[in-house]
Amino acid sequence: MTLTLLLLIPFLGALGLSLWPRTLCEVVARRTAIVLLIIQLLLSLRVIFLFDSTDGGMQLQEGLYWLSSLGLDYRLGIDGLSLPLVLINAVLTLVAAIVSRSISQRPRLYFCLLLVISGAVNGAFLSQNLLLFFLFYELELIPLWLLISVWGGSNRAYAATKFLIFTAVSGMLILGAFLGLAFATGSVDFSLTPVTTLQLSMGGQILLLSALLIGFGIKVPLFPFHTWLPDAHTEASTPVSVLLAGVLLKLGTYGILRFGMGLFPEAWSVLAPGLAIWAAISVLYGSLAAIAQVDMKRMVAYSSVGHMGYVLLAAAAATPVSLLGSVFQMVSHGLISALLFMLVGVVYKATGTRNLDVLRGLLNPERGLPLTGSLMILGVMASAGLPGMAGFISEFLLFRGSIEKFPIATLLSMVGSALTAVYFLLLVNRAFFGRLAVTPVDPNSGPLDIRIPASTLVEQLPSLMLAGSVVFIGLWPTSLASITESATNSMAQLMSTLSIVLPIGVTP
Amino acid sequence: MPTLLADLGGAGLGMPSMGDLSLQLNAGAIAPEVAVLLALLISLLVDLAGEKAASRWVPPICYGGLGAALVLLALQWNSPLAPSFFGGFLADNLAVAFRAVVAASTLITLLLSWRYVERSGTPVGEYAAILLAATVGAMILCGSTDLVSIFISLETLSVSSYLLAGYMKRDARSSEAALKYLLVGSAAAAVFLYGASLLYGITGGATDLASIAVALQTSAKPVAALSLVFVLATVAFKIAAVPFHQWTPDVYEGSPTPVVAFLSVGSKAAGFALALRILVGCFESFNEQWKLLFTVLALLSMVLGNVVALAQTSMKRMLAYSSIGQAGFVMIGMVCGTEDGFAAMVLYMASYLFMNLGAFACIILFSLRTGSDRIADYAGLYQKDPLITLGLSLCLLSLGGIPPMLGFFGKIYLFFAGWADHQYLLVVVGLITSVVSIYYYISVIKMMVVKEPQEASDVVKEYPAITWNLAGMPSLRAALVGCVLVTAVGGILSNPLFMWASSTVAGTPILQQAIAASGGGAAALG
Repeated sequence: MTLTLLLLIPFLGALGLSLWPRTLCEVVARRTAIVLLIIQLLLSLRVIFLFDSTDGGMQLQEGLYWLSSLGLDYRLGIDGLSLPLVLINAVLTLVAAIVSRSISQRPRLYFCLLLVISGAVNGAFLSQNLLLFFLFYELELIPLWLLISVWGGSNRAYAATKFLIFTAVSGMLILGAFLGLAFATGSVDFSLTPVTTLQLSMGGQILLLSALLIGFGIKVPLFPFHTWLPDAHTEASTPVSVLLAGVLLKLGTYGILRFGMGLFPEAWSVLAPGLAIWAAISVLYGSLAAIAQVDMKRMVAYSSVGHMGYVLLAAAAATPVSLLGSVFQMVSHGLISALLFMLVGVVYKATGTRNLDVLRGLLNPERGLPLTGSLMILGVMASAGLPGMAGFISEFLLFRGSIEKFPIATLLSMVGSALTAVYFLLLVNRAFFGRLAVTPVDPNSGPLDIRIPASTLVEQLPSLMLAGSVVFIGLWPTSLASITESATNSMAQLMSTLSIVLPIGVTP
Repeated sequence: MPTLLADLGGAGLGMPSMGDLSLQLNAGAIAPEVAVLLALLISLLVDLAGEKAASRWVPPICYGGLGAALVLLALQWNSPLAPSFFGGFLADNLAVAFRAVVAASTLITLLLSWRYVERSGTPVGEYAAILLAATVGAMILCGSTDLVSIFISLETLSVSSYLLAGYMKRDARSSEAALKYLLVGSAAAAVFLYGASLLYGITGGATDLASIAVALQTSAKPVAALSLVFVLATVAFKIAAVPFHQWTPDVYEGSPTPVVAFLSVGSKAAGFALALRILVGCFESFNEQWKLLFTVLALLSMVLGNVVALAQTSMKRMLAYSSIGQAGFVMIGMVCGTEDGFAAMVLYMASYLFMNLGAFACIILFSLRTGSDRIADYAGLYQKDPLITLGLSLCLLSLGGIPPMLGFFGKIYLFFAGWADHQYLLVVVGLITSVVSIYYYISVIKMMVVKEPQEASDVVKEYPAITWNLAGMPSLRAALVGCVLVTAVGGILSNPLFMWASSTVAGTPILQQAIAASGGGAAALG
């Protein structure tokens, strides 16, 4: 029942909020949403206590028969892979609701959509039925489209529609692959059992897996399918960016791990070398593109393309260490990118620009944004993988686990990790160090010395929380590892037993 | 009527044939149609008493007739099968289900019509009578099992539809629509008659579908193929499948909007029932041929309907092309010819009834309030009219197949059935074109929801105050809210609908035969 509650609270909350008969002012709507999301977070935390961390399989399973003729049953379960993601969903939606301060227009709709997205993402992470996953995966589409297209920047219509089309295509590819999978055995079965795929021919497996990989690759996003992400981030408001980068991209990597690797172990081991190369290309492309950006938000968005590529690399290697690293990477990327987007949002709100050619010396202790600057330096360090923060642990595990299997791809990805330091140092150096000045784009008017309105400590509280948790995971990684390890171990075991049976795994 | 004849048979000892006659007539099967017919006649009589009495009494009479028809249909559900009118009509579950869809669509259409008709200044009683006549035709068509009864009911439906399309006499576009519809429709009817005459020749003088099916198994290929093409063309015309769709956009754009609502659901449902009866029930020995033709029609409909809809600026034209695309999706189920395929068809028709009529309710309300039909005029509507915005958004999302709406489940079921029957091409094209359809449905929602107040269209800026107290408005609101509610919640609670669809297939002999034949074929291949 606990898992169902994780869905019911946001959905019923959204329904209640939308049906509330009287007009709701922004404050009330926001507070209601925050209270609901706090309950959701507490429930998610309760799941940790109910969860048996030594068991690598699905736990707390619950279900109902729903549409049996369609093979669509309501079945939920949680394991070490989905639990951390459910947790960051709860945390980041709450953070997004807290930082949604200036929603002057249509606050009620805004917070409803936020709750619906949170519930749908929970549903997708918990689904134990392919069609149910697809239902939740598609459910999040329209609310996010609305969040970008109503509360976005000036070019929001273009960005939102691009997001919608890309994600709709990804959904159709996934549905096609699921249908192919369900009919593989002749009888209809949409449950998550890897055995069924073994009855397909290798060609069929590779075809279905490719459809899944492209479908989820759009969502992650991986290199040639990533173009929607920078646009969407640039036009989305800060809280929506936090949700998009922190939570929704994880649906893609989760899907690759759970359905790509989990359901097609045989084809996966055939495609793995290619996937490792793909991951390396994606990492390098994202990092190099990030260096070229002058918009801070676009830079962080491209860094997402790079950092999500690591997860594919780790999944391709599929060793116990690398898979653990991939979960760490999902969690730490969620927290770090959410932190960075929030800080960029603070800078944008204070200065009215995100242009790195314009911003100078924001770290100025009196007239600048010292706290924001400090947090930004911390976030950037974490993202570049400096020891003591979450990024270090995940990158270390990732590369350590993958290098034996795919040395070249791993080395290339490590170069990408080094490039992270390059572009984020550029960002910090340009925007935060030096003499405070917001240089106007027009060179004729001299640099303006201005006083930036200081943001209060309370406003910065969510950022501080996120920064704290980044350091916490960095210093005490066992907290997360203990939840996840047995699940990733059993996933890796499945892969290794298969590769013993089928001596195909070729290293490039 | 049957009791009367039975009494006669019992009384006249010397005439035992009368008892047989009443058995063979089995006129109770068309009791629902009789209820509608009675409503039609009473409406006409009431109309004689003057316009005021008509607008007071015609609506309840129509509700009564259609409601009674729906109840009688429910009683016929799963009843023992006996052909009536010497094999001219069969009330199997397929007939009951599709007649219920037709009757429900008429009921909802009437609820939407009153205000519209009143405002156009045309007599209410006449309008209701013509619509009910079309309904009777469509309902009988759903259960007809004889070429003669098929043709008569088809023409009843068609002639009434021409009249309805041209009902706004003073509007030139309405007259144009009626004339176009009449010309193309008459040609289609002639083609059907030609095909039917060939079939008559093949059987050597029988007109019932069962003996035609038997005769077709041994007949000369070329003649049978020719008759197949003719019959198929008529069916394709009725369901507006590409390339027999050319009449649709013009007729939809010119006709009164409530009439379009009926044509797009009720008339189409009857067309699909006819398709099932003739193609599945009769041309079984030409399974491969008609399935191939239907696959081509389905592919063309999905692609052309959905792609051309992108470019439309008029709401009605957009929905016209979208309905062509939707028919293409339904045809996937028919091509499958499996139990799931037929059930998915029935399910999708039922969900299409609610979501499409819900959308039509919204655009009728909008055009009543503003007189406009342009998509651009919906800009910024959320501020002025939240009900239309919400209702139209939900219905369009459902048509686009977005969860958790009803349309999502219907569409997934169709794709599921298609994939199970290895119709990969159809399913893949269906998946791709649904992305296209999401795009144009979404752009309407974008107009309504996303545009800021300052970007609102002139029409919306001068939007009248919302009132519901005019005659005919409460019923319009009830229909709108009901359809939207079913569309929004029906998906999650769709289990009964799935059961209903599968028992429709289970209770229909011709579908069972087709399933058994295709199953047997698969077994023979395996």
